[in-house]
Amino acid sequence: MQPTAHLFPRNAQKALADKTLQAALGRATGRFLHHRAEAVAAFPGFGEARERASEIKRQTLAQLDHHLGRFIEEASRRGAVVHVARDAAQAREIAARVAKEEGVTLAVKSKSMASEEISFNVALQEAGIEVVESDLGEYIIQLAGEAPSHIIAPAVHKTREEISRLFERKLGEPPTDSIPALVAMARRHLRAKFLGAGMGVSGANFLVADTGSVVLVTNEGNGRMGTVLPRVHLAVAGIEKVIPRMSDLPTFLRLLPRSASGQPLSSYVSVLTGTRREGDAEGPEKMHILLLDCGRSAILEGKYREVLKCIRCGACLNSCPVYQSVGGHAYGWVYSGPIGAVLTPLLVGLPEAAPLPDASTLCGACGEVCPVKIPLPDFLLELRADMRSQGLKTPGEIAGMKGYAGVMKRAGLLEALERVAGLLAQFFTKGKPVEGLPYPFSGWTERRDFPAAAAQPFRKLWKTRRGVQG
Amino acid sequence: MDPRRSIPVSLFFTCLADAFYPRTAFAAVEVLERFGATVRVPLSQTCCGQPAFNSGNRKEARAMARKFLLSFPGDGYIVSPSGSCAAMVKHGYPVLFRDEPRTLALAHAVGERVYELSQFLVEVLGVTDPKSDFSGKVTYHDSCHLRRGLGVVEAPRTLLRAIRGVEFVEMEESDRCCGFGGVFSLKYPQISCRMTEHKVERIVATGASWVTSGDLGCLMNIDGMISRVGYPVKAIHLAEILAGGPAEPAPGTAGKGTP
Repeated sequence: MQPTAHLFPRNAQKALADKTLQAALGRATGRFLHHRAEAVAAFPGFGEARERASEIKRQTLAQLDHHLGRFIEEASRRGAVVHVARDAAQAREIAARVAKEEGVTLAVKSKSMASEEISFNVALQEAGIEVVESDLGEYIIQLAGEAPSHIIAPAVHKTREEISRLFERKLGEPPTDSIPALVAMARRHLRAKFLGAGMGVSGANFLVADTGSVVLVTNEGNGRMGTVLPRVHLAVAGIEKVIPRMSDLPTFLRLLPRSASGQPLSSYVSVLTGTRREGDAEGPEKMHILLLDCGRSAILEGKYREVLKCIRCGACLNSCPVYQSVGGHAYGWVYSGPIGAVLTPLLVGLPEAAPLPDASTLCGACGEVCPVKIPLPDFLLELRADMRSQGLKTPGEIAGMKGYAGVMKRAGLLEALERVAGLLAQFFTKGKPVEGLPYPFSGWTERRDFPAAAAQPFRKLWKTRRGVQG
Repeated sequence: MDPRRSIPVSLFFTCLADAFYPRTAFAAVEVLERFGATVRVPLSQTCCGQPAFNSGNRKEARAMARKFLLSFPGDGYIVSPSGSCAAMVKHGYPVLFRDEPRTLALAHAVGERVYELSQFLVEVLGVTDPKSDFSGKVTYHDSCHLRRGLGVVEAPRTLLRAIRGVEFVEMEESDRCCGFGGVFSLKYPQISCRMTEHKVERIVATGASWVTSGDLGCLMNIDGMISRVGYPVKAIHLAEILAGGPAEPAPGTAGKGTP
């Protein structure tokens, strides 16, 4: 996917002006947050599971090569063919080659954010293969020609009215305002695709090293149908998805659905291990697993390693007041919200995603809800420092900061300036709040007043009233 | 608390109180002295450097942090009417000086002495009744850095509930950010205002006459919108409520037209 993260300021403004989007965002994130809070409150072991999950991920990342090696070995032993792609171009090439060699003309795909990173659908379509998204939300945005705007609820920005119009236009369905009717329409169209597909494509929530299994956590059943019905299954996953042992899985299953949608457990958990064996009632004849590096090895080596602990639950998005205000598309790439503001600069490059680390008040809500304890606010701060050291700050900001730091070196100079500001405030607004500030402070006063400087600063008043006792 | 023992406290008054809201700093002193603290005000202090740190300008932040550390020698408590500034010293300085072991040790030592005002009153002085004669219906906004940065959730509520004249009412989503975020409010003013709008709606919905908080940054932001729109609610720092009411008219609607 081509990043447009550098356009965040403009896209955020557009999102703020979009009334439909604003209503949809408020509803959806509020519901997710509420359900999550209830689910966490009802499960006393959440904190403990969170600690354990964080520790498992931390230890796994410290020896990722080892665990990945084990996963590849075990998966291969059970009949899967494992491919590793260094970058998006190589991943696309492998995906298209696999599909062609397997003689696939139609593929059904369940939800995968990793596949968005490499523009998977485009790669297959360019090779002449039809790819149909089978997750309801993904199906909707595929019909609309859009990208997902939320990790677990890709069409969160669309209203039922918009979806009905879309189905009318693209599928020739009659208009309706009934959600069950819309779901039934999608199911009917998708069922035919499932039955005709030569390949099912999925992501992976977890890759289990000691069994070589691909684990899918879903609610719609499309993931399971798409991975057992077609002759070929292709799973696409980032290398950081590996967990060492099957016995680690329950810890993550306690956290992921609760953090994502507020469910104690998702409707489906599929553990897909190898190809169909003799006597199996179902399962693919061929299984391919495409592991994506795509910048992850570089992250692994540096100070942001812990961001790779992410299990893509989306809780940080729902909890983020900036995401709640502008939605996912404004972030301009696959991942949005706080995790996107950290991950996008690391995966596509800080210069291309320069506005993102600043798109946070550092309120800390994301760090608080993260089920694997990624220090997202600390990472945002760290990225801002990287902006400075990589020469990505404006000369105006640097000059401003130098001037401000220069004043703060001397309390006497600060007091003198405060007293000048106090005099100006008396002169211009008679001590009333200021309704218009000059650039670069003008944004503040568009919809807010700014306080007038005190006629005399505290430090002066204190000396007058109490004397200087240091 | 032993009333015969005097407790040495250095006031970390913060630049917002210094330049815009001196009454908040005076109120903090009044409350601290009421409960037996001997308050010193080191006048060499300037800014803790948080705006520079939060915007990634660490060189400048380090310069200010060094000055701060030197402004608070000794081993008494350092108390601030700001959760955000206190959190900067406690959590930000160790990041700034992670590669300078000697300054890092000093930063840790100073950080251990730092408390936010309500936290200090409740956790250190054991105050259960602030002996304030403030009256009115009050709602409380959790400053992000006080709540999530310092983990102070109950102390301000305990104090507010103990004031006889105060009818304390919780707003919905009291812990949701007001949209200030320091430099964020200048870099993304529209997003910031959307968040402030949301916060102010929650405040107004409580029907409270006063909204209070432990941070002047939040209050300046919230009050900025209250004042512009003309909502019938006033923003006031918790210290001023504890001291017994605004020495001067509160910011916002009532503040207009007063020096």
